Parts: sequence; structure tokens; C-alpha cells
Amino acid sequence: MKQILSKVFQSMDTAVFERLDEHSYQLMTQPPPWLGQFCEKESVVDESIQLTGMFAFLDCFLEEAEEFWESKIDATHRSGSWIDFTPSGEEIPFEAVALWQDGKALLVLQDLGDEYYNEVVRLQKYRDGALTQEALEQEIENQTKEIRIREEEIAMKLLSAAGHRDHETAEHVRRIGLYAEVMAQALNWDDASTADIRIAAPMHDIGKIGIPDRVLLKPGKLTEEEFEEMKQHSAIGADMLSGTNIPLLKMASEIAMFHHEKWDGTGYPSGLSGKEIPASARITMIVDVYDALVHKRVYKEASSEDSALHVMQQMVGEYFDPDLYEVFLENLPKMREIKDTYAEPASI
Amino acid sequence: MVQKKICLLGAFAVGKTSLVMRYVNSIFGEKYHTTVGVKIDKKKLVSNGQEITLMIWDLAGQDDLTRLRTSYLRGVAGYVIVADGTRPFSLNTAINMHKEAREYTGDVPFIVAINKADLRKEQWQVEAEQIKALEDSGATIILTSAKTGDGVEETFQLLTHNILESESENKPLDDIENS
Repeated sequence: MKQILSKVFQSMDTAVFERLDEHSYQLMTQPPPWLGQFCEKESVVDESIQLTGMFAFLDCFLEEAEEFWESKIDATHRSGSWIDFTPSGEEIPFEAVALWQDGKALLVLQDLGDEYYNEVVRLQKYRDGALTQEALEQEIENQTKEIRIREEEIAMKLLSAAGHRDHETAEHVRRIGLYAEVMAQALNWDDASTADIRIAAPMHDIGKIGIPDRVLLKPGKLTEEEFEEMKQHSAIGADMLSGTNIPLLKMASEIAMFHHEKWDGTGYPSGLSGKEIPASARITMIVDVYDALVHKRVYKEASSEDSALHVMQQMVGEYFDPDLYEVFLENLPKMREIKDTYAEPASI
Repeated sequence: MVQKKICLLGAFAVGKTSLVMRYVNSIFGEKYHTTVGVKIDKKKLVSNGQEITLMIWDLAGQDDLTRLRTSYLRGVAGYVIVADGTRPFSLNTAINMHKEAREYTGDVPFIVAINKADLRKEQWQVEAEQIKALEDSGATIILTSAKTGDGVEETFQLLTHNILESESENKPLDDIENS
């Protein structure tokens, strides 16, 4: 039986060693042709042999194998393949296997030969395919980004044109989008919806374009009738942005329509309450109030952040979704950074 | 002579083998040949006035079929994390592999090599913010090109220098006094 096994191992270019001690092994099979190229002894059968220092990879694996043999589990522990070179420069792919069998610590060293090169061909094909797929995905991502940038630029230009009438600045528009994006990220929205709200939230007041100047630009307090007229901006904006299947514009329409709805149901135009109000609109309301409070307007000075937060705290439960306001507070440092980065021009 | 084991880690096809080939043999091939398992090369160099032999373990790149086998990192003195500057995904893989390696190796020196820097003008996808975030986290980043050789020598020299510095910092006081 031993002879048969020895012949099988020989045909597999395999050497089987029994561990004698940490440094010495005894070869139990006929030496395969490659062994003589790495080993100084011409004949190693039945003599103890030192494997340490023969292969750098094996030195590392033998430390692992020692731990495996110590466990005395009747099993195998494979090294994984490695490439070594004979002194003449011939490349040989090896694998080592540590075994514990019949109370003996055994080490099998095998020249993997074609098995290894077939695996290389298989992995090469797989990775070539994976590279092509990765490049295509990257191309799609780049194109999508490009489209997003253009969408955002067009939206900002339109908003800036609309904002000229009521003195909204480009910075305000930009900030509202960025604050809303921070909220969406904190709420773990998917990437597409997060990118959508960055562009959609700034469009919340786009309907003001349809409000007459005598109401929109009136310096004093609005009469009840004028206020009713002003309230129309929600529906006008929603209408302007509706009738499309583009998710971004659908969200923008939703925000335009519902950003004056209040958490307690006393808002307009529909008197929705709580979570009946779309999350995008609830987010926009919070960040719009924050931005309005901490910035100077033609009709008021800028509030300090403490004072703004004090005012906003009073609005929780009446105007704001309490949970979303918590998220807003948790992300206040990011909001502050956006406020400072996109500050109003000095002349405002 | 002192021997130091270093490993090259990273996603597949980022150019780990090409960097080793450039550094050890001063050659470069355009075609991608995947690495299966481990290839070990040696390179002698002088660092901090000391002759060192680097044992460079080129580990197969990570993909869905091949994961990092942390036991290959046994006894490692430092490592190079390689990413491909034209493939942003490879930078994410590099960061994840670094975290995985760190758990096994502890606080050994490492360098992040962002390879294929010869394509910086045409196909570069790594944003300055990503590089800054890595630098802020304490990583040393070198833009390399196995094709032109840019940054390659510097990567291995700096890693070796850092390994020696870190070992001399960690040397017990008695050893220093006796040396």
C-alpha cells in the first residue's frame, strides 16, 4: 500500500514529509524532480531534511502548520498556491498541505503544474470580464454625474432668475439644497434620492414667479386677501413642476406643494399633518427656516445660531417633525459648515 | 544581512506585480497578467546606512473570488497598499484591505501607492478630496507609475526607511544603550 501511494505521489510531483521536530522532516516518498533543485542533499529519502530556509513562503506557512499540528485535529490545512523559482530560473507553482493523520504530523509539497495554470487562465478570463464591467459601470456613473451637474446648473440658473424678483440669492438656493442633502444622508436615503433632494429642495419657492409684484414685493404686512394670494405659490410651483416622470421633478413638485404644511395639520394648502406630509417637504421646511433665521434679509437682521435654535425649538411639534428636528440638531456642525462656506455676498 | 518582509495588497489589476517588476527588474509590460497565489521577490537596498534585503510578497489581488488571506501577513515589517488612480472602486478596496490588514499586523508602517499616475491627464478618477481624507487619516500617499517608474523607487525606499525608524523607536532601551 505504502509503495502504491508513493508511486501515486510521485506521479503527482508530490513530496510527503513527516515532521520529526520543529526543524527536521523525513521524506516518505520518492523525491520529485524539483526537490533536488531546492535541496542540497542529493538523496533525501529516509534521511532527515531541513525545510526551513528552502522556500520563503514555506517558512511562513510552517509557523501556521505548527499551530495546526498542535491542535491534533484529523484534518488538512492548505497553504494556498505560491510561485517559486529554481536556481536556473524555472517557475514552479507549489502548494503545501499540513495533515494530521494516525498521530503523525505530515506535510505535503506539490508542484501544482497544469492545475495552477488552468486556474490562472480561469481567473484571467474572469478578471478581464470584471475589468470591462467595472469600466462600463464607471462610464455610466461618470455620465450620470455629468447629467446631474448639468441638471443642477440649469435648476440653479432658473432659480436664480426667479429669485431676482424677491431678492433670494444664489447662495441661499445652494445652501437649502446642501442642508437637505445632509439630512437625506443622515436618514440613509439612497444615493439617487439624496442627489434629487439637493436640487429639488431649492425649488420650493419657484411658484413665487406667479405671484404679482404688488404682493410679492410689498414691504409691509400682507392683508388677509394678499396672504391668500401669496399662498398660491405652493400650488403654482407644484403645477409648474408636475406632469413628468422624472423623479427629481416629481420630488421638486411635492416639495413646492407641501413645504408650508405644518406637523400639527394647520398649514397650507391641504392641511396635511404628521407623516402625511412628504418627508422631502418636512426636511425642506426645517432647513429653510434655519437658513432664513441665521441670515440677514432686507426686512430683518441675522439671528445668532443660539437665538435661531431657540426659535426653532418652539416650532417643534407645531411646524416641525420632532424626529427630523433631532436629526437636524445632530447634524448642526455640517449645517454650520455649509452656512459658512456659502455665505451671502458682503453687499447683502 | 537584515531581511525584511513586506507585502503588496490591493484590488486585482491595480499593478502590484508591475510595481514589483519595475522595482526589482526595471521592466514593464502593458498586458495585464493576473496573479494567483503569492509571488515572492527579493531586492537589496541601502536604507539609513544599512544594507537590507527586502522580501517582497506580491499577493493576488482581491476580487469576489479571492479574499485577503491575513496569515500571509505573518512576520510582515510593513506593506504597500496599491490602488489604481483610474479606478475609484480600487481605492475603496484598498482602504478596506488596509483596515483588515491592520487588525492582523498592528501598527506597522505602510504606504498607499496610487498607481498608473502616467494616466493622470486622461483617465484619472481619484479626487483630491479622497487623497486629502487619506492623508488626514495619517496615510503616506505616493503617486506611482510602474510604466514610467515614477514614485516606484521612492515607495519602497520610504517604506524601508519607515520600517527601520519604527523599529529603532520600538527598540528596548537596553538594546540602544548596548549598541
